[in-house]
Amino acid sequence: MASQLAREWLGIQQFPAATQSKLHELLGKLKQENVSTLTILVMGKGGVGKSSTVNSILGERVAAVSAFQSEGLRPMMCSRTRAGFTLNIIDTPGLVEGGYVNEQALEIIKRFLLNKTIDVLLYVDRLDAYRVDSLDKQVIKAITDTFGKRIWWRALVVLTHAQLSPPDGLNYNDFFAKRSEALLKYIRLGANIKKQALQESVTPVVLVENSGRCKTNENGEKILPDGTPWIPNLVEVLTVVIANGSKPITVDQKLIDGPNPNARGKLFIPLLLAFQYFFVVKPIQKAIKQDMAKESKPLWELRDVGLANRNF
Amino acid sequence: MAFCARKLPLGAQIPPSGYVGHRRSASTSTSASAADASTPVTAAHHPECVLSAKTPSPKSPTNSTRKKTVVLISSSALAAGGFLLHLSTPGPPPGSTGGGGGGGGGGWGWGGFRGGDGGGFWSQIFSPLSAIANEEDPAASGGPEWDTHGLPANIVVPLSKLSGFKRYKISEILFFDRRRATTVAGTEDSFFEMVSLRPGGVYTKAQLQKELETLASCGMFEKVDLETKTKPDGTLALTVSFVESTWQSADSFRCINVGLLPQTKQMEMDADMTDREKLEYFRNQERDYRKRIERSRPCLMPTPVQREVLQMLREHGRVSARLLQRIRDQVQKWYHDEGYACAQVVNFGNLNTREVVCEVVEGDITQLVIQFQDKLGNVCEGNTQLAVIRRELPKQLRPGHVFNIEAGKQALRNINALALFSNIEVNPRPDEKNEGGIIVEIKLKELEQKSAEVSTEWSIVPGRQGRPTLASIQPGGTVSFEHRNIKGLNRSIVGSVTSSNLLNPQDDLSFKLEYVHPYVDGVYNPRNRTFRASCFNSRKLSPVFTGGPGLDEVAPVWIDRVGFKANITEAFTRQSKFTYGLVMEEITTRDETSSICTHGARALPTGGLSMDGPPTTLSGTGIDRMAFAQANITRDNTKFVNGAIIGERDVFQLDQGLGIGSKFPFFNRHQLTVTRFIPLKQAEEGAGKPPPPVLVLHGHYGGCVGDLPSYDAFTLGGPYSVRGYNMGELGACRNILELATELRIPVRNTHVYAFAEHGNDLGSSKDVKGNPTEFFRRAGHGSSYGVGVKLGLVRAEYAVDHNAGTGAIFFRFGERF
Repeated sequence: MASQLAREWLGIQQFPAATQSKLHELLGKLKQENVSTLTILVMGKGGVGKSSTVNSILGERVAAVSAFQSEGLRPMMCSRTRAGFTLNIIDTPGLVEGGYVNEQALEIIKRFLLNKTIDVLLYVDRLDAYRVDSLDKQVIKAITDTFGKRIWWRALVVLTHAQLSPPDGLNYNDFFAKRSEALLKYIRLGANIKKQALQESVTPVVLVENSGRCKTNENGEKILPDGTPWIPNLVEVLTVVIANGSKPITVDQKLIDGPNPNARGKLFIPLLLAFQYFFVVKPIQKAIKQDMAKESKPLWELRDVGLANRNF
Repeated sequence: MAFCARKLPLGAQIPPSGYVGHRRSASTSTSASAADASTPVTAAHHPECVLSAKTPSPKSPTNSTRKKTVVLISSSALAAGGFLLHLSTPGPPPGSTGGGGGGGGGGWGWGGFRGGDGGGFWSQIFSPLSAIANEEDPAASGGPEWDTHGLPANIVVPLSKLSGFKRYKISEILFFDRRRATTVAGTEDSFFEMVSLRPGGVYTKAQLQKELETLASCGMFEKVDLETKTKPDGTLALTVSFVESTWQSADSFRCINVGLLPQTKQMEMDADMTDREKLEYFRNQERDYRKRIERSRPCLMPTPVQREVLQMLREHGRVSARLLQRIRDQVQKWYHDEGYACAQVVNFGNLNTREVVCEVVEGDITQLVIQFQDKLGNVCEGNTQLAVIRRELPKQLRPGHVFNIEAGKQALRNINALALFSNIEVNPRPDEKNEGGIIVEIKLKELEQKSAEVSTEWSIVPGRQGRPTLASIQPGGTVSFEHRNIKGLNRSIVGSVTSSNLLNPQDDLSFKLEYVHPYVDGVYNPRNRTFRASCFNSRKLSPVFTGGPGLDEVAPVWIDRVGFKANITEAFTRQSKFTYGLVMEEITTRDETSSICTHGARALPTGGLSMDGPPTTLSGTGIDRMAFAQANITRDNTKFVNGAIIGERDVFQLDQGLGIGSKFPFFNRHQLTVTRFIPLKQAEEGAGKPPPPVLVLHGHYGGCVGDLPSYDAFTLGGPYSVRGYNMGELGACRNILELATELRIPVRNTHVYAFAEHGNDLGSSKDVKGNPTEFFRRAGHGSSYGVGVKLGLVRAEYAVDHNAGTGAIFFRFGERF
């Protein structure tokens, strides 16, 4: 937010040295591409770990997190600068309430995002949720309806709770592949993107583990079960997404309102009217005339008019 | 040879079926009137005479009146809109022997027609039916009102030997054909109708003698005699012994209309003519008759029917009186079956030649009279202009056409549809100045021009647990006034004010003021356009703001409309019409508490109310004002076949915004409805015949381009959209497509049906501002199927909601299509 001055990113110092250097490297790369500001929008269902992820990325406790309660009722933006580079992360409240997409929350988010540019969307879900259902589709649809299809070309799917043992002896990588495939399928469905179109740039899936019990490697970096340190990995994927050629999304009034269906096709109304007159009203009138001509008159009337010719 | 027709009671020929209003069953009063009519019919079954003579009768025919037969059609405009067709055929009015109608409630009769060759003529003698009936009454009551013959049993007594002072009871009537030497007993013989005597009747000698005279002079018999035989119980057995008249056989038949032809003068034949004079006389007559035939018009009877008659003639060989009687019956039956109620066979001419000429008076209309009556039935000057009534009359009722009862019925229906008269009678009566002519009299009783009415009511609403409870103790009611038939041109002003609380009417006052101006193009112009202007207000619950299946609590939104409307309706047929006009209205959206609301609301699971729903109005303020043009063209050629509706109906409705109003609304909102009622079996039309099974196909497309406020969005679901769902339960959208099919199978007096319906928003729900379909969690499409039965006006149906897969029973009023 404008009133909120971007603070120095102190949290980065808490990261292990390896992570810090990796991050600096990546940020430097971004700078080379003339990107000095990065705005990340974090969205997802409630309780999947959006705020925790934000905290983990920044290395600070910026968003209140509690295990049993949703904390964030309104979106929150944290801005941090580091070496001339500004990182904005927007944490949003969960989009689901009572089994339905919470349009009110969405509405608040929309209003919050007005006149902001979103570089990357982090769509957060849990890795340990085994199945996807229509609710996921609805959430994705709601996001698509709000920001347009384009958002999915600037999006990352983030799966939290990455440190898990897959059920029934399933291989971890297999499980991850299946889970991400299922989720991506729903994204395609919910966003109504053709499979072909998505294949051109697959929305990447990144794993995250926010827990304090997360394993670390010898450098003290938090690592995933496969051994990759996840924070640098996440940021790296981010840079890849930014660099994929799609445009960042600027949220303005028009985008929030969506296309105005009332304005569409107004110019064609006179044409439409002419069409209706000549191709609907006229044929019906003609049909009525035919009806009148065809109307079966009673015999006595025909006899009277002299049409009977004494045949009936 | 002349031959007079027994006058058939017309009442029997008129099918006692009332006009059945659109989608309305025949009223019971119709059958009641039919029962009324039947009583006099039996009384009228008296044969009228036929006067004969092979040689010209020396008696000059008395110009007496025949028994009257009355065709009376009257209508009472019932409040329900249906009307009663009243038919009655009263018996002969006692004592009115003087010629002509006018007596006894608008009856008619006519004097004798004369004509024919060979000196044939006919006349009638007023039948002493009423007198006999009077005498019969006490006899029927069982009293010994007759005298025994006082003679030994089983002797034959000639009529002349009977005592003139005794009243004899006839217990048996026999016919004895002398030529065939057979006794014909029983009532089925056509001759039985000729005799006015009935077994069991009590007669004096004078009566019997008169009867004999009648029979002798009727032309059916060459010779006729009455013989009585005494019986042991004091009664008499009567034997009519006769020799039937016969003429030479004929091999051609001709039917001519002699209505309005002047009667040929009957020249008296002098007894002391020489043979030569006689020959001259007969030749003259023959010539005259040929002229008469030439001048006559062809009759309406079609060739096939004439051929049937000819067949009869050929089969029979010699033309006998009985054959002529049968021909007469057949010809008259055809006429009466076809509705020519005034048609009559008046004469058979050219007998003793190879051709039989049947002379028919078909009932040509010579005059059409429209009369107004006041409350007491006196003729008065009416307020209604005659042109208004004239344009409703079928042209078959105009002078020069043959009167047909169907044309009369149609006139009755058309005039009744004007809703200006409390009583309508269409009444044919004979023209006295023009023999054989018919004057059609239309008698009308006008309704009061101005009326005002106040009605009060206490409303009952479903209360707790669905029990009916009084909505309030305050009375509601309606005040209405009506000024009808202004300037006699059927223009009217109708106004009404309704409130559910008369003590505090400003709470909810609904009013309507309408001016109707028919015959915009002039009352003589056949084009039928009506101008209507009205001020109105209305309050309706919006089906747009209705929850889907998962959402039960949705704050209702009321749509109040106040406005002015002016349009012109052009009626092409009774059902097809084209309406176009302008509407100006102000729409206010209100919530439950009657305060203006701007957005739909939905209850949140937390218990709160989310007020950020779809906007209720275009302006967003809760009040919209707009003016738009409206057009509606309806093509409807549906008709009832034995109670089942069959035909096609297309309706196109268009609302065209003009950019006048809040936010300059410019839109084109259009709807096309196509319905087909297809009979699956050829059904013969006729009363009592079963209706055919009908397949109904129905499609409805609606769409809107441009500004679409939520209250004008199309809603899916409901008894007239997709059955099995609540109003608007499936969604509110910009484009709509509904498809329905129904199969109706007639069962007894009603029908059962099976249906399947589908409604779809075509993905256009999101194009309604605020997407009310999604906001209220509705599916946007849905199908249903089910079965039902029609019980009078109510439809009871079981419909399965395909979205949820559950079924429910519904009761609905009226028709779906």
